[in-house]
Amino acid sequence: MTLPFLIIIPLFGAFSMPIISLFGKKLKEYWALIISGATLGVAAKIFYTVWKTNEIILYTLGSESPIGKGVKFPIRIVWEVDLLGALLALTITFVGFLAVLYSLGYMKHDTGLEKYYTLILILELGMLGIVITGDIFNFYVFLEIMSIASYALVAFRNDTWEGIEAGIKYMFVGSVASSFILLGIALLYGQYGTLTMSYLSLKIAENPTIVAKVALAFFIGGLLFKSGAVPVHMWLADAHPAAPSSISAMLSGLVIKAGGVYAVARIVFSIFNPGLHAYLKAFNMPSINMEAVGWVIVFFACLTLLIGNAMAVVQTDMKRLFAFSSVGQIGYILLGIGIGTLAYGSRAGELALAGAIYHIVNHALIKALLFFVAGAVIHEVGTKNLNELSGLARKMPMTTLAFIIGAAAIIGLPPLNGFASKWIIYESSAMYNPILAAIAVVGTVFSLAAYTRVLFTFLGRESEKVKSAKEPEMSMLIPMLILVVAIVVMGLLPWQINDKIMLPTARMLEQLNGEYMVALLKFLGGA
Amino acid sequence: MFGYWDALYFLYAFFIGLVISYLLMKWAEKASTGTRRAGDGTKIYISGEDQDKIIPHFEHFEGYFTGRHVMWGLIRGAQRMFLAFRKEHTGLLTDYVAYLLLTVAIVLGALVIGG
Repeated sequence: MTLPFLIIIPLFGAFSMPIISLFGKKLKEYWALIISGATLGVAAKIFYTVWKTNEIILYTLGSESPIGKGVKFPIRIVWEVDLLGALLALTITFVGFLAVLYSLGYMKHDTGLEKYYTLILILELGMLGIVITGDIFNFYVFLEIMSIASYALVAFRNDTWEGIEAGIKYMFVGSVASSFILLGIALLYGQYGTLTMSYLSLKIAENPTIVAKVALAFFIGGLLFKSGAVPVHMWLADAHPAAPSSISAMLSGLVIKAGGVYAVARIVFSIFNPGLHAYLKAFNMPSINMEAVGWVIVFFACLTLLIGNAMAVVQTDMKRLFAFSSVGQIGYILLGIGIGTLAYGSRAGELALAGAIYHIVNHALIKALLFFVAGAVIHEVGTKNLNELSGLARKMPMTTLAFIIGAAAIIGLPPLNGFASKWIIYESSAMYNPILAAIAVVGTVFSLAAYTRVLFTFLGRESEKVKSAKEPEMSMLIPMLILVVAIVVMGLLPWQINDKIMLPTARMLEQLNGEYMVALLKFLGGA
Repeated sequence: MFGYWDALYFLYAFFIGLVISYLLMKWAEKASTGTRRAGDGTKIYISGEDQDKIIPHFEHFEGYFTGRHVMWGLIRGAQRMFLAFRKEHTGLLTDYVAYLLLTVAIVLGALVIGG
């Protein structure tokens, strides 16, 4: 069983880092690289297993079965990995590995690097825990591990006020959001007496009370904050530009996905199960109206994709522009999840979910690339103000090429990967409600305007500041080039990826036949 | 499934749109007194921006309103929206908490009533 190693390896790496760093300056960097590489290997194996067998892995911590002694319900912590969890784990470890590789060159001049690498491994570990857990309190624990590591990493460069201020704000408001999530968990536990997600979904369907609805509202409210949706996106625009670029890549590419939109999808589909409630409603039994939930998500999604992308247009700070663009892209993912809930069980719903999952992966790759580019520019030129960066293309041609590919992909130009996922989201929203598709396209127009501005900056007349600029070192260029290749290759195979990976993932998340519950029910003896 | 190259139709429609809007702009330049090209040193009056900001018979309107050039009003509106966005502050901690509480309250209200 390889699943526990997904947590054990980064945990061991993080806590052995202070000791390893005693043996040499370079050693800790290579140690972080080895650890994140090994984690990537484990995640790839788990993904391949789940994808090949098309079966959910259920692992109980410290026991053979999740059922307690003398009782007939699950009391132990379970990890339940479906295709979505495995896919996210693979994406997290891939981008995490590249971020560590990039840090070798990018963080060269910083001090306190043993703390940096410890935190980056803990951040990765927290996200991996979130995507594999099947226990709602365990989910909260990993969410906090991830959040606390990211608060510290945002304020890592504590010689500037920017990082400290952003970090403190992020920490305070993030803690309030986490409290809402914890309150939701407490309400569910008080009402139903279990923390196992799939068992909770059964219990909620048996007796859907107002407490369950209030808990769901707290979850959605708290998780909208964690995913950086409008109107609670401001922390993101402060925190992501203030962090070192390798961390910004992980925050924008991964943290808001694992701790935000993924968690929304998991809670809505695996705990509140729209199919089960639609079935109950059809027989006039008490149920939760999942349409209302879907519309709430769609409402915030539309707000997010319009305002996020529009705010990106007016930024003069390159990293802030990318951060707002992340807000906008989260809007598309939320739109996919919202339509997936509203049109549950139909072709449009399945496509919308597949599009959202596809976009989670694509945006993780694209945004990591763009933040790596921003980091290379800051590293070489020393500024991220777009007004001072004119004419970089001649001095940094490889970096410029990476930026052009990244920008074209995020706008959604064919034949790059961003196009395929956005297109599926447009198409499914048009199938459900054309107005939603029109709103999504307007968001993309703003996004196009924002990135065109940066493109003109790169290609414009050379300014004083960039005269002495040169390409960054290989350890920074290689991660960028790997991401460029990934983006182009994924863009050339949209059908294969969608049909073979994204659609099965969406189907498993939708669990039309209750797969997520059945994985646990096997232990209950067909109860 | 969607057609991958269907997106080319969008580009096609976009270019036709560009040509049409260019022709419209040329026509508007000729037909309108509000939008015109002028040589160096000429003062340009965009309609509504009268020296004393008063339009005969429309004394109750001030500023950028003219019946004929609604377009300028719209452009001005869009520009103001972006100006407002540009002014966004990094914000106080209490603001952020207030936005979060409001969001949770909205979701809670929607789900308790509609859920």
